[in-house]
Amino acid sequence: MSGGPATLAALRSLLAARFPEKARKTGGGPATGVAAVDEALGGGLPAGRLTELVAAPGGGAQLVLAGLLASTRGARQRLALVDGADGFAPDAVPADHLRHLVWVRCRTADEAFAAGDLLVRDGNYAAVVLDLRGLALRALRRRPAAAWYRLQRAAEGGAAAVLVLSPGPLVPAAPCRLGLRAPLALADRRVPRAALAAGLAVDLGRGAPAEAELAG
Amino acid sequence: MNYAVLWVRDFALHALRRSDPALAGRPLALIAGEGRRAVVTEAAPEAAGVTPGLAATLAMARCPGVILRPRDPDAEVEANRLLLAAAFTLAPRVEFTGPGCCTIDLQGADPDRTGAAMRLRVAELARAGLPAQGGAAATPLLAAYAARCAEPVRLVPDARAFLAPLPLAFAEPTPAHAEILRGWGIDTLGRLTALPKAEVGRRLGTDGAALWERAAGEATRVLRLVAPPTTFIAEWDYDPPVESVEPLFFRLRRFAERLALELRAAGVVAEKLTLRLFLEDETEHGRDFRLPEPGADVDLWLRVLLAHLETVRTAARVAGVRLAATPARPPQKQDGLFDTGLRDPAVFWENLARLGALVGDDRVGTPAPADTHRPDAFTLGKPAETVPAPAPPPVPAPRGPVLRRFRPPRPARVVCVEERPAQLESEAAQGAVRAAAGPWRVSGDWWRPEAWAVETWQVELAGGGVYQLARTAAGWCVEGVLD
Repeated sequence: MSGGPATLAALRSLLAARFPEKARKTGGGPATGVAAVDEALGGGLPAGRLTELVAAPGGGAQLVLAGLLASTRGARQRLALVDGADGFAPDAVPADHLRHLVWVRCRTADEAFAAGDLLVRDGNYAAVVLDLRGLALRALRRRPAAAWYRLQRAAEGGAAAVLVLSPGPLVPAAPCRLGLRAPLALADRRVPRAALAAGLAVDLGRGAPAEAELAG
Repeated sequence: MNYAVLWVRDFALHALRRSDPALAGRPLALIAGEGRRAVVTEAAPEAAGVTPGLAATLAMARCPGVILRPRDPDAEVEANRLLLAAAFTLAPRVEFTGPGCCTIDLQGADPDRTGAAMRLRVAELARAGLPAQGGAAATPLLAAYAARCAEPVRLVPDARAFLAPLPLAFAEPTPAHAEILRGWGIDTLGRLTALPKAEVGRRLGTDGAALWERAAGEATRVLRLVAPPTTFIAEWDYDPPVESVEPLFFRLRRFAERLALELRAAGVVAEKLTLRLFLEDETEHGRDFRLPEPGADVDLWLRVLLAHLETVRTAARVAGVRLAATPARPPQKQDGLFDTGLRDPAVFWENLARLGALVGDDRVGTPAPADTHRPDAFTLGKPAETVPAPAPPPVPAPRGPVLRRFRPPRPARVVCVEERPAQLESEAAQGAVRAAAGPWRVSGDWWRPEAWAVETWQVELAGGGVYQLARTAAGWCVEGVLD
């Protein structure tokens, strides 16, 4: 149909003007320090939004978390980590990068969701990371969509950026979803961490800034 | 205005009502005596047609659904303590005049702030289920008159104008004097004090002169002061014992309201709450709550207590409860110009307490490396109130992927070739080892029974993935994945 894109652009402009509160705000939250992720998100994690980062074990998500710890520490902001499977290793990051962190060591997905719900509404954190890696993917997929929508609604309007680290796509209608593919090798252990982070590549999923202007 | 009075109309009724949530809004009357001889002594306005002196059976006939209860001495003691606590927040010299009545010596207090302070206290008492009235005047007696006709607070700058229209009954004449004065056409305090005191004394005797003085509000006296509380403890015995959170929480709210007032009157705040539940099987459940932000915020206390109570399961019913507050000086601090403080400290600490109740207090906090080389050794501490300035970047800069641990480590079977891992079999990962780095051997605490020694390897599997292995005396395990 001729004029389709122009009509679509006009419709988006009209909707953005009519519902400015729904217009996607990229960035505004802390940067992750991983160039590919920050570029995909328009400068950093969007504040008041939920971002899903899908990564397989060894996919580099822990590098993103370490980068987020460093950037929020530099900005003297608070970071909350809801560690669904209790996998975070404090001895793997510089000790000074832990002083602004509130770490919640969960045992089950229920604990993780309950803790995430509290922290997202708290208002004292620049970012809340809900790390669901290590939990059974099948059990996570069985969770009702309402749990995710509740988390999204809690994040909206708040100042915190919410980052969900998941082993597979989980969040229904995720405003932003990125996939990490980092074939890390043993030889990488001698590479400076900043260079490793710079080399991470992401798959643009739903909600990349260039892809759409309105949240789902 | 040198004196103030806090007074509760129908005190015994309100004391009972505030101790039992089931009585809220219900027609209630207090009775004295037993069986057919029971008569109503006080009646709530909801108990239509029920008046003091009415036989209990007649009261039930007049107001179907009326709840008849005897007085509750424990509830009255608790209500009196609450009233005293409120009085001590106004001034340190307080007299316990009688049940539901306190007289406060305001000398030295700021007269301009008396009215506002009394209104605040009266509002607080009303929220705590004790609708008090307050009056302030030049003498204790005048202040008591003012309290009795206050709505809810009355200040009396001009005693003569205030007293003139008050009924004679305020001065509590004897029945004989009341009869005589009624015959003279005197029915208000103003009309009585319009007569010369000496003439009244000559006709009615010394009691008549005393009545005239009471009518003029001139009678003054030395207050019998009580000492303010030095310990902050509230206790209640349940009869019958309770088995759900609701009645427990209701009682704790009443305790918290009183203790917070007592603390504020003493100029201190609570740094720790101690809860004890006395169970029916004569065992106890106890828990200390160290408040991260010392204060006297009742709602914050209750949220902390409720977060804990919702997780408590006891073997027997709760027969008693005690709440104690450990006092501390109010925190005084000034943040640095560039410090990043908390936007909402109360919510922050409350949520931490809730998280502690959810996952365990030892599983929430800010991690810090422990003073040991033992792998995965760290401490979890209380988060800092302000985020300190960052330290210079570490030298050398961190290298390599970041370890993500499996807790507990996954047991593994490792086949070694020439003393290097060549094949890995584990729940976490399995396959041929493409490359291996190591070993790194560390040990410590050799002088203690819990001496440890570990040999660490990092391996890359042929199918992808870099894992950290550890070999101890117990065998091989996969510690985590490099991510």
